[in-house]
Amino acid sequence: MLTIADTTFHSRLLLGSGKFASPQLMQQTIQASGSQLVTLAIKRLELDKPREDLLTPLRAMKIQLLPNTSGAKTAKEAIFAAELARDALQTHWLKLEIHPDPRYLMPDPIETLLAAEQLVKLGFVVLPYCSADPVLCKRLEQVGCAAVMPLGAAIGSNQGLQTRAMLEIIIEQATVPVIIDAGLGAPSHAAAAMELGAAAVLVNTAIAACQDPVAMAGAFAQAVSAGRIAYKAGLAATQAYAAASSPLTDFLAAL
Amino acid sequence: MRILLNDTSLQLADDSTLAQLLQQQQLTTEGLAVAVNNSIIAKRLWHEYQLQHHDQIQLFQIVTGG
Repeated sequence: MLTIADTTFHSRLLLGSGKFASPQLMQQTIQASGSQLVTLAIKRLELDKPREDLLTPLRAMKIQLLPNTSGAKTAKEAIFAAELARDALQTHWLKLEIHPDPRYLMPDPIETLLAAEQLVKLGFVVLPYCSADPVLCKRLEQVGCAAVMPLGAAIGSNQGLQTRAMLEIIIEQATVPVIIDAGLGAPSHAAAAMELGAAAVLVNTAIAACQDPVAMAGAFAQAVSAGRIAYKAGLAATQAYAAASSPLTDFLAAL
Repeated sequence: MRILLNDTSLQLADDSTLAQLLQQQQLTTEGLAVAVNNSIIAKRLWHEYQLQHHDQIQLFQIVTGG
């Protein structure tokens, strides 16, 4: 069971709701993933465009909705977006993300830490998307974040665990759940993250932008479970040279 | 009075509340957030919030995202 703040979840796969071809496909994919935590975003309403009812089907699924602050470039903007999202969804859960640079969407560590500290004081359950920096993750934990969400690779890049060595340190030191967010492109990446001891992973593009999101969601769910079981089982040690797993007696030498 | 709703100028009855404006625009409140002159107005206050001439109202909605 994954516990974040005072809430427990059976699933260790968090799903992003962006980039799906239709709301129906998004719903079916969430169901196939078994995910209980799904991210959403907030933006200015366009009065002249038709509005789809996104929330009624999501509410019916009884999942925890996790609005993000995507689009915020500073702590001030992120806090404003957080307060809008809290009122729009009536939840104090928040995925904090501040990435001013559009090319790599790297999270701004300074603004993220400043915003996290204030948002915790304002009563939010803060899950910050952040760089895979062990010192920053510790600082985010110290200001009261309910989890940390370091990146595996750039958002939407599908490059997998580029930050693996740093993630190992973050996981070793953390006393809050470490959720690997961003860059996981294949179920094998998710399994690898879970084998490292991550508490959960967050996936969006790899599922939403593939040929068959419903099937891929199932594949990710299995990979996350397998990786978690492997972590709990304790992986056998790696070594530089071969270590025989069958007896090497030279009984054939006499032939 | 005239107000600005997401950059669109609108004429409203002088004693309009925020809730009346949203109703007039046929907006459902679920997933919606409102700021008036850059201050967020909580949902529970929409019914009693009296709009003023020249108010700038911004509407925000929950959308999909990762």
